[in-house]
Amino acid sequence: MSTRLTKALEFANYRVTLNNQQAQLKAKTQSLLSYSINGGTFTIDIPLITFCKQLLDEGQSEVVLLDIHNNPIKVEIEKFYDEIQSRYFEVTNDYYAEYEKLRKARKVHKVLDLNEEGK
Amino acid sequence: MKKESKSRGVIMFAHNNTEIDYFRLAVVNALLVQKNLGIKNVTVVTDPHSLKQGEKTLGKRLIKKAINNIIVIEKDKKFKQKNIRLYKDTSHKVERLPFYNVNRCDAYNLSPYDETLLIDVDYLILSDTLNHCWGHNNELMMNWKYQDIMYERKDPSLSRLYDMGITMYWATVVYFKKTPYVESFFNIVKHVKNNTQYYKDLYKWQGTLYRNDYSFSIAAHMMSGFVDKGIPQLPTTLYKSFDTDDIHSAVDENTIVMYLEKPRSPGDFMLTKWAGVDLHIMNKWAINRVSNNLLEYVK
Repeated sequence: MSTRLTKALEFANYRVTLNNQQAQLKAKTQSLLSYSINGGTFTIDIPLITFCKQLLDEGQSEVVLLDIHNNPIKVEIEKFYDEIQSRYFEVTNDYYAEYEKLRKARKVHKVLDLNEEGK
Repeated sequence: MKKESKSRGVIMFAHNNTEIDYFRLAVVNALLVQKNLGIKNVTVVTDPHSLKQGEKTLGKRLIKKAINNIIVIEKDKKFKQKNIRLYKDTSHKVERLPFYNVNRCDAYNLSPYDETLLIDVDYLILSDTLNHCWGHNNELMMNWKYQDIMYERKDPSLSRLYDMGITMYWATVVYFKKTPYVESFFNIVKHVKNNTQYYKDLYKWQGTLYRNDYSFSIAAHMMSGFVDKGIPQLPTTLYKSFDTDDIHSAVDENTIVMYLEKPRSPGDFMLTKWAGVDLHIMNKWAINRVSNNLLEYVK
């Protein structure tokens, strides 16, 4: 096989590995952005955070929100907002750090954090 | 075991066949549950032979450390001989072996807990995500949504009982509370299991193998008033690999490096590092091969 073709195949392998690794990172982030309280589960995202901030600004203290199953869950908004906001940044900061590390990895073994022997 | 008020725990079923040491997988997963979920209440339902083999290879001390409640039952030998499944250790090794899964429908009666997570021994707990289930308003949750860990690989046969059939729920992870509704659900699962041929004709699943996924899906359909996807999903996606995949190594108690078979190139693999998300690993031999490493991290 010519060197050019070998290099092209190596690069293809690297791209597939990288894409899959990025998807794994996304899956992990998604699962960490899940938050359960009072028998309900919420996905922490920007609309939820913004909505909670608006409710807080309006002076609300206890509200009913619909969770991922559309069940009504009563929450104390200040505590809830603090919790989801801090968790959101905790998770996204980790995501950013790991994403950047992946972006800079140019070899399959570096994408996977293994040494060249695969250990 | 004495029942605590509002007790929470995990239940697994482990019955070895001639090749797969399910009990060993249960011990590994029980220790992962303790480490990653922080749950000490682990019940394993097994049979005398599997337990004896476990005691011989792992030692009574380690088993006691991992599992605080072992329920020993006798196997239904007729069922065992009849229910034969194709097991793969990558595409290179395929074997037809007995698959003993007949008593999973008894989980409701066997579980000593008020809130139970029923999990497969090969669903490795690599995170604390399932802790979101405890105290949930939904008394029964299981997944129909799943995702293969190689994102471009799709298998439509895993979504429905047959092409135009009902949605398939995965009995791999089930959260339930002890309530009359859930009791009825498990009674229907048992009823389907006891009348397999009738329900096979009615719901038209393919092949002769009895799978709990089928009976749980049918019970979910019936208990939802014959409405599809009527039982709420767990607050997590079910991630799975195929039995054609292999494990490269276990890096720590949350991370596994996998060989994934390329979809258009059987027998050819790519690597992926899977960290911090629970994973259903279909290749049982592969888990057994790295079980010593995993045990080192968790014991």
